[in-house]
Amino acid sequence: MALLNLEFSFDGVPGASIPGEWAHSGVVGSGDMEVLLFRRDQGGAVNVKVCTPVSGFDQVWKMVLQRFVAESGCGDLDLEINDNNATPFIVRLRLQQALAQAREEGGR
Amino acid sequence: MRRSELMRSSFLECPARARAAGLVDEGTFTELAGPLDRLTSPHLPALGEAVAFDDGIAAGVGLIGNRPVFVLSQEGRFIGGAVGEVHGAKMVGAFRLALAAYEKALRRHPEDLEEYRPAVVISFETGGVRLHEANAGLLAHAEVMDQIQDCRGRVPVIAVIGSKVGCFGGMGFVAAAADAVVMSSQGRLGLTGPEVIEQEMGKEEFDASDKSLISRTTGGRHKYILGDCNVLCEDRVGDFYQSLRDLLSLPYEELCRCRRIGTYSLVQEQMALTALAAELNPSDARDVWRYCGNADPEGLTELETGEFLRTARRRAREVS
Amino acid sequence: METVTENVWNRLAQDTAGRLEAAAQAAGGGKIVAAKDTVRLLEAVLRPGDKVNLEGNNQKQADFLAEKLCRVDPAKVHSLHMVQSAITLESHIKLFEKGIAEKIDFSYAGAQAGALAAAVREGKVKLGDIHTYLELFGRYFIDLIPRVSLIAAYQADREGNLYTGSNTEDTPVIVEACKFKQGIVVAQANEIVDRLPRVDIPGDWVDFVVKAPRPFYLEPLFTRDPALITDSQILRGMMAIKGIYAEYGVQTVNHGIGFDTAAIELLLPTYGQELGLKGKICTSFALNPHPTLIPAIESGWVKNIHSFGGELGMERYVQARPDVFFVGPDGTPRSNRTFCQIAGHYAVDMFIGGTLQIDEDGNSSTATAGRIAGYGGAPNMGCDPKGRRHATPAWLKCGQEYGMREVLTGPVPRGKRLVVQLQETFREKMAPGFVERLDAWDLMERAGLAIPPVMIYGDDLTHIVTEEGIAYLDRCRSIEERRAAIRAVAGFTQVGRKAKAEETRLLRERGVVKTPQDLGIDPARATRDLLAARSIRDLVRWSGGLYQPPGKFKNW
Repeated sequence: MALLNLEFSFDGVPGASIPGEWAHSGVVGSGDMEVLLFRRDQGGAVNVKVCTPVSGFDQVWKMVLQRFVAESGCGDLDLEINDNNATPFIVRLRLQQALAQAREEGGR
Repeated sequence: MRRSELMRSSFLECPARARAAGLVDEGTFTELAGPLDRLTSPHLPALGEAVAFDDGIAAGVGLIGNRPVFVLSQEGRFIGGAVGEVHGAKMVGAFRLALAAYEKALRRHPEDLEEYRPAVVISFETGGVRLHEANAGLLAHAEVMDQIQDCRGRVPVIAVIGSKVGCFGGMGFVAAAADAVVMSSQGRLGLTGPEVIEQEMGKEEFDASDKSLISRTTGGRHKYILGDCNVLCEDRVGDFYQSLRDLLSLPYEELCRCRRIGTYSLVQEQMALTALAAELNPSDARDVWRYCGNADPEGLTELETGEFLRTARRRAREVS
Repeated sequence: METVTENVWNRLAQDTAGRLEAAAQAAGGGKIVAAKDTVRLLEAVLRPGDKVNLEGNNQKQADFLAEKLCRVDPAKVHSLHMVQSAITLESHIKLFEKGIAEKIDFSYAGAQAGALAAAVREGKVKLGDIHTYLELFGRYFIDLIPRVSLIAAYQADREGNLYTGSNTEDTPVIVEACKFKQGIVVAQANEIVDRLPRVDIPGDWVDFVVKAPRPFYLEPLFTRDPALITDSQILRGMMAIKGIYAEYGVQTVNHGIGFDTAAIELLLPTYGQELGLKGKICTSFALNPHPTLIPAIESGWVKNIHSFGGELGMERYVQARPDVFFVGPDGTPRSNRTFCQIAGHYAVDMFIGGTLQIDEDGNSSTATAGRIAGYGGAPNMGCDPKGRRHATPAWLKCGQEYGMREVLTGPVPRGKRLVVQLQETFREKMAPGFVERLDAWDLMERAGLAIPPVMIYGDDLTHIVTEEGIAYLDRCRSIEERRAAIRAVAGFTQVGRKAKAEETRLLRERGVVKTPQDLGIDPARATRDLLAARSIRDLVRWSGGLYQPPGKFKNW
């Protein structure tokens, strides 16, 4: 019943973070998610925390996030995700949007 | 999103955070107790329900002219915008800040208070109490009601309704208690939600799958004709923003004349309306529209909002 | 003394005459029967064990007659063998619960798919066969000939002539099969009038007309609210338009029901226009009057549409666009399911739709273990018509590409129908769109079916579109290659996770798999802003007020 907290860590590109200290994007609607992004100086690493009501998809999360990190070429980031049954397509899309938005908005 | 783009976009489809920023002057919105503070619900995890960093409401403060405007904007996509403990506390907190700001304005700007008088704007998108944390949610409703009473004579409170979920349940009462109500044609305001009415009274009384019926009965146009809604505007963020600017540019006393309840004469007017309902015994909102002097009630729903505003006859108010 | 018994060749007619006589006694002598006498009429014309057609499909329903049939005395009328297009009303199931009916041969179960599965498990329903529409209609003339048919019409006159108008649908095929084998036809009509707009069914083929106390039920099954279309559907729509419609120059199409194809319809006047495809694709349809097609029609994309049935609220619009739709000499629309299914089978170059599950070999099914949903008409269109002999560029191109053609038919040129599935790798609640084993197998076991109910077989499927990419299955040269192409677009499902990067790379090189990037499509553009209409209200505006959506879809 309880919510699941998953944690992942990936090797990203050092310096490829976001301009601001943090950014937020998305809404926890049904089949959707939100994400907080934090700029970190940690040798390129991308650490992700996922809070989700869905169990049994740890491996899928890992692959989806891994691919996002590789495709987007991001790094030096901490991500915190609140998920409510988002599909892998939506997760990828929202993360891409969040990153693009954070870069567009620039520093806070 | 650029400001001009936001102003043109549909209010109905606009998420709560963007809505909040769009209701005040450009670049003036500061969110309070926002996602970064991660004030998530303490109750939902135990039930295995997803949480949100803002608990389904964007709260903050911005400016309209020189006036601080405290904005509460509910997110219908998160558990239908339902009010839980944190969500409710953020609402109450914003009212308290508005009242404190009022005291400050009174001290600093005694001469031009009208210009600096703070306001509270609630962009409703909710079915009322969040059942998962019902006690806390109910308490929040009561506290918000209390705050609205404290605001009387000090801080104008304006309800804004034009989002997908509408404004139902206990929050329907809260909206009714505001000084003024702004809606779009797509906005819906009511107490008991359509599904519950159907469940309790039967499909013959109210068919909750008939969206047109729901809209005729709870929608912005019906509320506008009846006088429960003071300002009807187009479904664009910019139109809601402009409606707020116009309302807040009125002298406070005049703005308060938008109220539909709260004085003995207004209560009498409401009672007269109840008596009229019993006498008229309408079977559909259209019967009421016809009574109010609209010869073609069927045609009214088909008009675009601008045309509707030019054509529609409203119920005459006795108290003004 | 030896008596010569003469061969009797009109037993059916004699039997019918006996029943009609009984009916005359039970319900008065005339063709027009009072609604209150309907049960008596049915008891008079029905015999135990009769094959009975109760008209109804995914659109119109002879619902009043269905309810009255539930009220006959099971001691008099029982063990009926229902032969009908659809099981979609509660009354359809009730017939079996009350023991009035015993067996069913059908095509489609909508809202009652779950109840039907339960009734089969409990032994209340003897399941005959599950058909496609055309297949069932064919059997109406061979071994499932209805003895009595209960049908629905908008209007009747006193001679029993019927006007079925925009919802003519299955009525002609039912009446033809029944009446010309001496059967009995009972119609429910919304109105009895002196003069019909036109005669859709001649009165001498109709034995009785009952004026129903309320209009027949009509399900607006093909209305999709643009407000509910998602970014993911828009992306797949863009990919389909650029990667398939444009690539093959597909002119003649059937669209499956659903939001994916609704998205495509709403992208034609925007994204399609941008690609300069107007007049080059999507000019003729075998299709119900989809409200989401209004913007494309109004923008001049569509030359012709023939429809299976009518869509609630679209009557006035269809009537006002006689150059596009089929409209009678009286000026009102007509539909015909049989003819439209034939058109959809033989005369269109492409079927495109969605499904619930696709397996590793490309077989797809909408079956779930607890629901017997049937097929409807999709397989008649979602297959390669083996009897097709006319050539079009799209059909020829798909045939030329067909990687397994030479193995099967040698060097003789032959075209191929494009059969396209639009599929999300995961649906709501993380239900996978690609599976190792279809739920259809479980349903087969549970419901005692002879074969798993596959909607579209892998060898008919030519393309799969997911948010990951398009698999051009027609270009595959072996079943192994097909499987690899399917895996390559199956995302993070169990099936997709078996994809090998090197294998996928080679397929992309050969154009067997194309990602959005390969197609030159930026997924970030896939937003609702690209839709020609974003709400039902927008569709009404596009139609100049001619489209009148039912209350269920009208949020104003």
